[in-house]
Amino acid sequence: MKIVVAYKWASNPQDATVGAQGTVDWSRAKPGFSEYDPVAAELARRLADATGGEVIGLTVGTKRVDATLARKAALSRGFDRAVIVADDSLEGAGSTQLAAVLAAAVRHIGDVDLVITGDSSVDVGSKMVPTVLAGQLGWPAVAEVISITGQAGALRVERAVPTGTQVLEITGPVVLAASTDAAVARVPGMKDILAAGKKPVESLDLAALDIPAAAGTTTVTGTSRPDLLTRKGQMIDASDPAAAAAELVAALRGAGAL
Amino acid sequence: MSVNTWIIVAGDPAIGNLIDTARSLGGSVSVAVVGPRAVADTVAAAGVDKVVWFGEPGAVPAEAYATVVADAVAAATPGLVLAANRASDRVLLGATAARLQAPVLAAVSSITADGAGLVANCSVFGGIAEETVTVTGPLALLLEGGPVPAASTTVPVEELPATPLGITVVETKPSSFEQVDLGAAPRVVGIGRGLKTQEDLALINALADAAKAEVACSRPVAEGLDWLGKDRYIGVSGAHITPDLYFAIGISGQLQHMVGVRGAKTIVAINTDPNAPVFKEADYCLVGDLYALVPALTAALK
Repeated sequence: MKIVVAYKWASNPQDATVGAQGTVDWSRAKPGFSEYDPVAAELARRLADATGGEVIGLTVGTKRVDATLARKAALSRGFDRAVIVADDSLEGAGSTQLAAVLAAAVRHIGDVDLVITGDSSVDVGSKMVPTVLAGQLGWPAVAEVISITGQAGALRVERAVPTGTQVLEITGPVVLAASTDAAVARVPGMKDILAAGKKPVESLDLAALDIPAAAGTTTVTGTSRPDLLTRKGQMIDASDPAAAAAELVAALRGAGAL
Repeated sequence: MSVNTWIIVAGDPAIGNLIDTARSLGGSVSVAVVGPRAVADTVAAAGVDKVVWFGEPGAVPAEAYATVVADAVAAATPGLVLAANRASDRVLLGATAARLQAPVLAAVSSITADGAGLVANCSVFGGIAEETVTVTGPLALLLEGGPVPAASTTVPVEELPATPLGITVVETKPSSFEQVDLGAAPRVVGIGRGLKTQEDLALINALADAAKAEVACSRPVAEGLDWLGKDRYIGVSGAHITPDLYFAIGISGQLQHMVGVRGAKTIVAINTDPNAPVFKEADYCLVGDLYALVPALTAALK
């Protein structure tokens, strides 16, 4: 089975700073292997080991996704090899554009049976890239995936739904987005990091990929800081719990909150 | 400029907010419904202009209809495509966006149309900033679904024959957790890693009973610890709620959590750490041990 893990090299917004006009400064936020992607890598490795398959890490983004550190961090996650599309024109690319490039790379890799992704990216987090990627490939996507077993063309996938879980049988190629707690990912050790440096990496030229044109233009015409409600910030002395509770209840009643 | 909108439904007719948004743009409002006929009938009575339905799904999940929905909606050349922010709905929206090569925007607070195209305001990067985005050409939006719309005039349901992709549901297992609609709760008690054991949830449940509140949590409590159902998790990729009153108990108040409760009218924070970021976004701040304060608060509310 040929399994692609589509991962993201991204920064956590918690570490970014936001200017008065809402411009986001990422310079102090160190990028990394996106928060939930280790779960996807782990599911892929286990499935490949069980079926004698291959795991290919795939990412697209600016030049920084192809830096040595980024390559090693990804390949230490249990991939057999990596395919990377790094082009600075992808700075700020939206879900549809990223998915179109990922789809072109999946077609370039060829004969892919399954793409696994994390639940959501640490920076954008809209959970849309896996679904648009599937759409670009003409495949279905399934999210909230808890476990994957079976063979190519006969996958058995368990996924969470609001009422519990469902077991699905899937006969064709598919994009699966792992639930955040589908597996506990191994933490790469020194051996994995050293081995990562020797694994093959294929860099694809964005211009050489067959990517459909966007239907229109998307332009950011303004930014702002979120309009936060003003909070009272009233401290209540909690050294005596009963007195603190009484004071809080009185304050809440007085403010009409209870 | 009026915009013709398609709404995509993957089995859940709770799309009141989507219909309102589509109506505000002045064009026609059509809905593509995957799921049982009853869902299509509910949508057909919700004050929309057109409903297409792809037949009884039986054991076929909504995701298997991704390509037929994308084909049907793209053939109508919509200006805007909407779906509710739910897992299966996102899959059908993504497939349609791919077919249209249309951008997808999420966490959208408003959408208008002017001569230049569609203008959307959205919260970005987990809520740290907001962007105004102008899009020419078709646009796909993820929105909060809102309530099941009330019945008004009814339009006929047009059935389109469909060959779904190869996915079948072979087994269904019910959740061990009771389902909850946090969005509808006027008061919510949120618990975080400050709670030491699952048994201690009894303290929190007692407070919630006394305060007539629902219990919610930060991400690790529902994902990883599995103490509560995932539908009780508040945060950037979980529930976004706007209750009248929110108790943040043993929650440090990282951005990823707070973005889900910023709309609460009043926030009470209880935490042992006086420097916890939650205190910067709270109306009433109690620095102390939740194991002492929660029982006292429960007693004071009775």
